[in-house]
Amino acid sequence: MNGWIGKILRVNLSTSKVSTEALDPSIARDYIGARGLGTKIMTDEVDPKVDPLSPENKLIFVPGPLTGTYAPSGGRYNVVTKGALTGAIAASNSGGVWGPELKFAGYDALIVEGAAPKPVYLWIRNETVEIRDAAAVWGKTVPDTTDAIRAETDDDAKVACIGPAGENRVMFACIMNDLHRAAGRSGPGAVMGSKNLKAVAVVGTGAVSCADPKTFESAVMKARDKIQKHPVGGTGLRLYGTNVLTNILNQVGGYPTKNFQDAYFPTADKIGGESLAATLLQRPKGCFSCIISCGRVTKVSNKKYAGEGEGPEYETAWGFGGDCYVDDLDAITKANYLCNEYGMDAITMAATVACAMELYEMGLITLKDTGGIALEWGNAEAMVEVTRLTGTGEGFGKRLGVGSYRLADSCGHPELSMSVKKQEIPAYDARAVQGIGLNYATANGGAAHVRGYTISPEVLGVPMKVDKDTIEGKPALVILFQNLTAALDSTGACLFTTFGIGADELAEMLSTLTGVEYTTAEFMKCGDRIWNLERQWNLNAGLSAKDDALPPRLLNEPIKTGASKGMLSRLPEMLPTYYELRGWDEYGVPTPAKLGELGLTA
Amino acid sequence: MKVQYFAVLRDVTGKKEEDWQQREATVGDLLRDLVARYGRAFERWVIKDGDLWDLVIVLVNGHDVRHLQRFNTPLAPADTVVIFPPVGGG
Repeated sequence: MNGWIGKILRVNLSTSKVSTEALDPSIARDYIGARGLGTKIMTDEVDPKVDPLSPENKLIFVPGPLTGTYAPSGGRYNVVTKGALTGAIAASNSGGVWGPELKFAGYDALIVEGAAPKPVYLWIRNETVEIRDAAAVWGKTVPDTTDAIRAETDDDAKVACIGPAGENRVMFACIMNDLHRAAGRSGPGAVMGSKNLKAVAVVGTGAVSCADPKTFESAVMKARDKIQKHPVGGTGLRLYGTNVLTNILNQVGGYPTKNFQDAYFPTADKIGGESLAATLLQRPKGCFSCIISCGRVTKVSNKKYAGEGEGPEYETAWGFGGDCYVDDLDAITKANYLCNEYGMDAITMAATVACAMELYEMGLITLKDTGGIALEWGNAEAMVEVTRLTGTGEGFGKRLGVGSYRLADSCGHPELSMSVKKQEIPAYDARAVQGIGLNYATANGGAAHVRGYTISPEVLGVPMKVDKDTIEGKPALVILFQNLTAALDSTGACLFTTFGIGADELAEMLSTLTGVEYTTAEFMKCGDRIWNLERQWNLNAGLSAKDDALPPRLLNEPIKTGASKGMLSRLPEMLPTYYELRGWDEYGVPTPAKLGELGLTA
Repeated sequence: MKVQYFAVLRDVTGKKEEDWQQREATVGDLLRDLVARYGRAFERWVIKDGDLWDLVIVLVNGHDVRHLQRFNTPLAPADTVVIFPPVGGG
């Protein structure tokens, strides 16, 4: 095979059995890799009703065919599992250099099953795979774990690991790789912790073979040229990072504040990408084969919040910023570092703090509950401290570690969790941007902006500008973006390449690399297939149309100030059309005809 | 009226914001005046082939002129105009 290696590694931690098996070419063709391949394996091997933290759940580390090649930003991998936070199918996407290393070691996927009787880590050097005792690193932060495991294995080992949060099964614990990159959302770190698996260290000395090197090179160069010439992919993201979105979302009135009580932050400019570039930024950084370099290497010198690392990204700056009503960039960046060090999804962590602040405002959480921490809006020190406590699993942090839905529910007000399928909504207000609200409600892994990033056309104007306030055409637009993203996520390329290229270029690179002919239509059909497979998995897990919902606040409480004052989400008007265009019945269930069209079975 | 700049336009103009005074103006009048003031370095971010560049984000009181009347969008003395070069993220 080309692009794909043709081999899957399987490790059973209950029995300590290590084995390999061939990758079925027909599965590779239909599901591509990464998100698609991982979802297919979950469908074939895991009962959707399993407890996410039981040995019966599986944890699948899976790059795509473009991963490890010189395709632009061809460095991504996914971790696919049943999400601890959501109980839904979870495909958490990460960058860095770990994913390519797994390909170089000779594998298209690593399937981890069962649970070890005591803490272990995996050490993979090409075909040699060891299950090693992790007692010495259990309890360590992500940086300390990475250093220690490299010292035991190889200085060049690429390490994916959990921090204390995953060990303590914080429900939104993430898996960190290369110190600062995260398979972030839905709690894969908690799943890894439940398996007593601390880390996966990899060294690979192989390469990814190519079916047609000359035409692949031509396709890659064409794609690289388009991305570099595009003002966003070529310049904008490198200069200001994703946090450049703070001011634009605020100016259009779609920047949620105080747990979505409003959508405009008067001091947003203090914490946006421009301010970050002028103060804390050391240099931009890219992932494997990346020409965009959106990553931020930063340092906080302020003694109160001193630290260094990477980030914050827009979502993190928003969550610890406007959502908590904090405009201290040093504090926000410190909270970001803590999430990376302890291994926690920054979006869920921040949004859970914001939810806790509202519950505190209402008197449902008290000073006694928080151990004396005044969780008032804008209290930066409190925001940082409760984040730290969540990472260490101490005091009030233990209550926050279940995420905003379960926290709000414990106070009798689940509706105050700004979440979908128990996963917290990110940094774009669905009342101010209609299409993104529909995406949040229908994304298979819970609320997630990257599953169908219609912010791009609705606010930014890429690839074309559509009116954010209308609903006409939005169901079709959301489906287009969701299907394209599902296919793209499965190749191993980065979503940000779409600031420059689209399905045509992705299909061409995939075809010339693998030797399997993908027309643009077939590539998009793969995305549709993957989306429907995820949907079916969720339906079998017990989710239903009632979970395709937004919090009541976004449907009933108009935005109070800013450019989108008075707006509400019109989700109920869009959802029936969305189901119809998806080929689903009125209950959101794929019809037999739709499944047949995609080669799926009920 | 107030004009606010973001991202690279802050470097190009050397400012975060400034006042702009002209009666019975349009967005086109404003942008032509700013091009005259800041030159090609500014023009390349806002105008392409004599028209408003499809990727520039110009907001009048928070509303995108690409859904109003583009260059012909009228401006009033109390308006706030915000200009972003193409930005992205996610």
